[in-house]
Amino acid sequence: MATTTLPRSASASRSTLYEWLTTTDHKKIGIMYLINSFFFFFFAGILALLVRSELAQPGLQFFTDQAYNELFSMHGTIMIFLFVIPMLAGFGNYVVPLQIGAPDMAFPRINALSLWMLPLGGILLLLGFVTGGTAAAGWTSYAPLSEDHALAATGTGQDLWIVALVLIGTSSILGAINFLVTIFKMRAPGMTLFRMPILVWTVLVTSVLVLMATPVITSALIMLFIDRNYGGSFFDPRVGGDAILYQNIFWFYSHPAVYVMVLPAMGMVSEILPVFSRKPLFGYKAFIFATAAIGALGFSVWAHHMFTTGAVFLPFFSIMTFLIAVPTGVKMFNWVFTMWRGQLMLKTPLLFAIGFLTMFLIGGINGAFSASVPVDFALHDTYWVVAHLHYVLFGGSVFGIMAGLYYWFPKMTGRMMNETIGKAQFVLMFIGFNLTFFPMHELGLAGMPRRIADYSSTAGWNQLNLLATIGGFTIAASMVLLLWNIFISLRSGTPAGDDPWEGNTLEWATSSPPPAYNFDRLPEIRSERPLFDARHGRTAEH
Amino acid sequence: MSSSPRSRTSQTAIFALAVGAAIIGLSLILVGLGVNLLDAGRMFVGGLFPPVAVTTQGAQIRDLYTIVFLIAVAIFIVVEGLIIWTVIRYRRKPGDDTLPPQTHGNNIAEFVWTIVPTILVIFMFVISWQTLNQVDKSSADSQTKIRAVAGQFQWTFDYLAPDGTTILYTEYIPLVSADGGMIVPAGRTVQLSLVSNDVIHAFYVPQFLFKRDVVPGRTNSFDFKVNDSDVGQTFRGQCAELCGSGHSIMLFEVKALSGPEFDAWLALKAKAAPSAPAPSGQPAPSGQPAPSGQPAPSGQPAPSGGAQGETLALTAHNIAYDKTSLTATAGAPFKIDFKNEDAGTPHNVAIHQGSATGQEVFKGEIFPGAAEKTYDVPALSAGAYAFVCTVHPNMTGTLTVQ
Repeated sequence: MATTTLPRSASASRSTLYEWLTTTDHKKIGIMYLINSFFFFFFAGILALLVRSELAQPGLQFFTDQAYNELFSMHGTIMIFLFVIPMLAGFGNYVVPLQIGAPDMAFPRINALSLWMLPLGGILLLLGFVTGGTAAAGWTSYAPLSEDHALAATGTGQDLWIVALVLIGTSSILGAINFLVTIFKMRAPGMTLFRMPILVWTVLVTSVLVLMATPVITSALIMLFIDRNYGGSFFDPRVGGDAILYQNIFWFYSHPAVYVMVLPAMGMVSEILPVFSRKPLFGYKAFIFATAAIGALGFSVWAHHMFTTGAVFLPFFSIMTFLIAVPTGVKMFNWVFTMWRGQLMLKTPLLFAIGFLTMFLIGGINGAFSASVPVDFALHDTYWVVAHLHYVLFGGSVFGIMAGLYYWFPKMTGRMMNETIGKAQFVLMFIGFNLTFFPMHELGLAGMPRRIADYSSTAGWNQLNLLATIGGFTIAASMVLLLWNIFISLRSGTPAGDDPWEGNTLEWATSSPPPAYNFDRLPEIRSERPLFDARHGRTAEH
Repeated sequence: MSSSPRSRTSQTAIFALAVGAAIIGLSLILVGLGVNLLDAGRMFVGGLFPPVAVTTQGAQIRDLYTIVFLIAVAIFIVVEGLIIWTVIRYRRKPGDDTLPPQTHGNNIAEFVWTIVPTILVIFMFVISWQTLNQVDKSSADSQTKIRAVAGQFQWTFDYLAPDGTTILYTEYIPLVSADGGMIVPAGRTVQLSLVSNDVIHAFYVPQFLFKRDVVPGRTNSFDFKVNDSDVGQTFRGQCAELCGSGHSIMLFEVKALSGPEFDAWLALKAKAAPSAPAPSGQPAPSGQPAPSGQPAPSGQPAPSGGAQGETLALTAHNIAYDKTSLTATAGAPFKIDFKNEDAGTPHNVAIHQGSATGQEVFKGEIFPGAAEKTYDVPALSAGAYAFVCTVHPNMTGTLTVQ
């Protein structure tokens, strides 16, 4: 038995890998959150393309009804639980400690635990594909469809779905506690609550929502699991359960979850607009109160997802849903008037932030239609709703995520992303997004229900569906540009320097990428824009 | 950033020219491709509105939609216009080296854009609530009572006596085009109640601008009145709540007759209908085992006592036949011993020439399970036939007559 020494390079690369796999550094964990989320984003994006391919024309071309149900169930579940929510948590992980001048999160090892539960949950979820079919009852998995192996024709896949979501939920709860303690206990001297960057505020409110709502859905999931496997009777009316109860518990989490998915994106946009307008955020405190109001009202609107069940006190949930438009509108005006009379530098992060404003506006306005109960009777569960939720979660969250990626990529890697490819990606994504989702408003009005694998060629939905499919592939093309941009920028991007954008907040006061301990020294913190003060001096006019 | 110094006006002008040229160019391309822009535009704008309602309730919802839509468009134009104008007007230009005014906020502006939207949404809530009280009613005194029973994956319609419980007639075929469908009297208020045999479904007719979930364990109901002017029309309907692998084929149609026509139709159907074997809408308790645990002796050849009186066995279970092919003797009548094991779900056996879409030569009575019936099929000439369930067109098999 001969012993050989490993070549040096192998041992070095192994130690880098080992370091990343065992790290408790919030920056590395944040980046791994982003990589993990992007992996699932592309996976679920491919599922969406398969869905759109099937719907491009009437007739079943590629999939059976059952396979189609699995596709959109997995698309929704993965996009929500393994992309948007962890993606934003990843940005929070990377940016929040830097923005408050902290060396790390409060509980670094719990932070690593939260991260590693995500790929585990994701793998469990995907195992459905090889165990005889994934969950096929939609991302909502309404009982009693999801209760019975016979009813939805799914077995292990649905149980794996439950277990995966419980794991991911636990990861969210641990992350939320970590954020809250970090924000309350780890701020640098001078960083009072009302000097915190808006992103930190939105992560704070988001964490409160996660902490209050996630245990509730966990309870629903565990009850569903008991019903399925041990003969419980929580949700099955045939044995004395209540089908509507599941919806109440599910949406008590899942509506606040919408704000979990959009508030941090709003926070990122609120970081980017002032920097690229060279002005402070218009109405900083109003913005914070609006964020808190959205968080609070977010807990009183869940049943607007259930207007057609006939088991909801309609006027209450209708007025609360209408009212939540008010703080959202306040934010919209704050953003516009931040740019107003500024000097807008139309770099890629700002383009995506403006994309967020213009598209999220549509997502907010078409939400008002669903708040109006009688109109919702017409629109509920049609493609109108699919359009609405994508204008909020894609037009809002994903545009915000792209803005954040282009904005913080230089800080994370030390290299700028390519501007030309970035702008091309924005244009392609913007056009593709609207081509995909705007026609869905008209499909819904024309009566096309969501979640159907096939439709009659005489229903009048052919052209709009084809248009949406073309749009879907346009979005996919924009994502290829993004991957290409990331690839070439990592290899040969222009070195970024500490502060390529003339930023306002503390993360730009350290090197790119920052050292493990984050800061050698911190500037004085006298406002929500410490770097701006350091650059221009803090005077009465600023 | 462009480095060539340009004046503010010329840059804006160039941008406007570029946008204008792009729009004109795109229009020319579309016209060149033979797209009629005026028609396309009309279709686009028309598509932003729901279909014209055929019920009085639907018409009220459509009016409400129009108000909400106009408010939404106004907000959209104001805010989107503001964003676009701001982005174009306040781009950083060469020479913008001093900081712009550092405005931190404006209390009056912020007060205005809190109060105005609040008033607007409260207005929308009030008009929505008023409409809601008119369209979401279920009156006890309506004379026409229909009960839609949903199950994976078909609809049946029970026509109830004014007492609301006695079933006058049950329609098992959900489509008008297949001689069934939900028949309603125009000009009269119909009370529709909804019950489910299994999972949650939703009763949705786009031209009603209305849907209501069909929830197992509870009975939902609502009233509607089809306009007199829509007599003779058929409206498409579809399940709108994901209910399993057959969700997309769970279709139905609603046909409006005039009041007297409807009365005559129902009287005829009620007289012709055999006494209902089991009141549908109240499925057999699921705990109760199906009458026969073991499958019918399907593997065995049919008793072959000669051509006369040949009997074929066929079983329906989980919305599927147990056999994909049957064989019968030509020129002699035969029997089909049909066992429906799906509790609460109606099936039958119909025989079509050639394929399932061919001409129907025999149609067995539709009945809900769990039950068993023997059909007497007349003599058929030799050839290929298909047997199919009239209620579930995807349940088919081939019948070879030789």
